[in-house]
Amino acid sequence: MAEPRLIRDYRTVLAARLPAELAEEVADGLEQTYRHHLAAGRDPQAAAEAAVAEFGAAETITAAITEVSPARHAARILLAAGPLVGGCWALVLINAHAWTWPVPILARLAFGATLAVVIALLVVAAFSARYRTTERTAAAALIGLAVLDLTLPGALVLPGVLQGWPVALAAALSLARATFAARAWRRIHST
Amino acid sequence: MKAEALKGHLDGMLLAALEDGPRHGYAVIEYLREASGGRLDLPTGTIYPALHRLEQAGLVEGSWSVTGGRRRRSYVLTRAGRQALVGRRQEWRTFASVVGAVLEAKPWPNPA
Repeated sequence: MAEPRLIRDYRTVLAARLPAELAEEVADGLEQTYRHHLAAGRDPQAAAEAAVAEFGAAETITAAITEVSPARHAARILLAAGPLVGGCWALVLINAHAWTWPVPILARLAFGATLAVVIALLVVAAFSARYRTTERTAAAALIGLAVLDLTLPGALVLPGVLQGWPVALAAALSLARATFAARAWRRIHST
Repeated sequence: MKAEALKGHLDGMLLAALEDGPRHGYAVIEYLREASGGRLDLPTGTIYPALHRLEQAGLVEGSWSVTGGRRRRSYVLTRAGRQALVGRRQEWRTFASVVGAVLEAKPWPNPA
């Protein structure tokens, strides 16, 4: 027996907004709810209406699933931790009068632009109602952030350009964040 | 019972639903329906994000399996989930006894 259009439309919304496995899991619950109402003696249309009413709007469910996604979780943690890591590096660079260094303007612009893009991606990942958008923007931000967090210590600490405990602290925070970003990236791609 | 009144208690109820063994999402919904005598009035679809939230917190573990020819994601309590359930039960008993003591301290007014 064909499913009523209401159930098909619900499945379509789930498939459009969620990864295949998540959509399949939620759709299974809706289908079971529909069958429960059919078994209770309702006709297919009434059973579908009762199932959708009991289950909740597809948009509400998909937004709630996005809210608890690993990508959202990682983006919010990184946004919250950003000022701490960024602040440490800012203090180190200001203290070292980094603006007087012979760094090519293009390299400065590239670093600044990458940082701005990473922050923008994290903000989108932290607040978008769409699962795929959240997942993609968070994944891109994690890669960008890991690159930045490896670039600064790699360029300034390893060659001995900067020394001292504030530099060591900033580098340690960067490496910890890069490790977190790598783990979060793996987690996002394993769900 | 409305969803708003359940705020803060849903996670504990979901952990309780998984106490006896693994269940897939709809089996959890059925458990809540039967255990509450059908008195829980919450959009049942919200069980899925709640289960995923518990999974993120390490309290349950989800895995795909085939049951009755259907592919389904089942959830099982982790050790941390069992400990959390014990804690939730204790919190609930304390909450219920305190609120109950206050509400029942005086005899109910007679509307007549």
